[in-house]
Amino acid sequence: MTLIDSRLQETLDGERDPATLPAELRDAYARLVSAADLLRHPPAISVADRVMAEIRAVPPSAGRRVAGWLARPRAITLRLRPVWTLAVAAALTAVILLPGGQSVVPGAEEGIAQFVGHFPGARSVEVVGSFNDWRRGALSLSDEDHDGIWHGAVVLPTGQHEYMFVVDGERWVADPLAGRYVDDGFGVGGQNAMLVVRP
Amino acid sequence: MTKPAPRGSPLVVSDASSDTQVVARILGGDGEAFGIIIRRYEPGLLRYATRMLGSVDAAADAVAESLVRAYRHLAQCRDPEHLKSWLYRITGNRCRSHIGRRHTGDVSLDDAPPVPDPSDTWGALERGEQVALVERALAVLQPEKREAFVLKHVEGMSYEEMAEVTGARIPTLKMRVHRAREALLEALKELV
Repeated sequence: MTLIDSRLQETLDGERDPATLPAELRDAYARLVSAADLLRHPPAISVADRVMAEIRAVPPSAGRRVAGWLARPRAITLRLRPVWTLAVAAALTAVILLPGGQSVVPGAEEGIAQFVGHFPGARSVEVVGSFNDWRRGALSLSDEDHDGIWHGAVVLPTGQHEYMFVVDGERWVADPLAGRYVDDGFGVGGQNAMLVVRP
Repeated sequence: MTKPAPRGSPLVVSDASSDTQVVARILGGDGEAFGIIIRRYEPGLLRYATRMLGSVDAAADAVAESLVRAYRHLAQCRDPEHLKSWLYRITGNRCRSHIGRRHTGDVSLDDAPPVPDPSDTWGALERGEQVALVERALAVLQPEKREAFVLKHVEGMSYEEMAEVTGARIPTLKMRVHRAREALLEALKELV
């Protein structure tokens, strides 16, 4: 391969005035500039409709469907912390019993995380975490009897997950009884709560 | 860094809003605002992917997959002010994956017009023929050099932006661009 004169490289890098190029380099300069210009026109297509349709069509996850079931009163088997009256906990269940004895059993590599928080007077409580890309709107907790105890559940892969409660859409609260915490990486001493899902 | 800053998103965003404002709005639950991001960056991403893959159809697939992926993982965009680099990085990864599946660095040039008569001189060629020749010359380059030339001279990025997109160091990128120019000039000489 022929090495290009350094003066041509400098000109193409914007470090030298093209007018100062010697005549023997100007053709190569013009050829490369012209090539770039020819490649600059974008193809006359669009994927916007396709992308937006796919975004809108994302079906509720299995976890959200389970959470929907759990938002209605029914018998459940939970492994909860003993401080239920404080009502701020995230515990795991192995099996959820539905009316009529029907059960929802997560896959071999999944478990069900049950989130419970005590937020009297709150208008909304959500859970965001590493399992839903910290995206709001993915897991909302409910408080049907307005006693300030918000709850919900989601099927998660086994392993460790970081999470936070988002109260009224703006206040981020680390579960005070999570037991385990990790630095949130923002460099100001904040922490995320951590839960461990076991099969 | 793991979670987005807990700040409120603006009530209304438009094509004039900053990337940071639009991202905050999307993360606040307004998925339709992602249309603004698409309008803003789709042309460049499609051009970049087309030059990398040599096929408009393959580029459309790569960009569509990249944009959906970006939407789903938007909260992981650590610095929304650099959203453009983040989107190009995701798209570049999709292109590299696509090239890797073909087990060759060559682009397909499915959509390129036929090569003109070699007896023609550059100045005598129609613009479409010139484009076809340049695309074929670009296709000869190794993917890393092809990417370096496209990001620098077609997308007009600075070396700092290229480093964000590719993850490579700036001296490495400068060397790739220099080598890409040499290789492209050589390929053009052989074609015309």
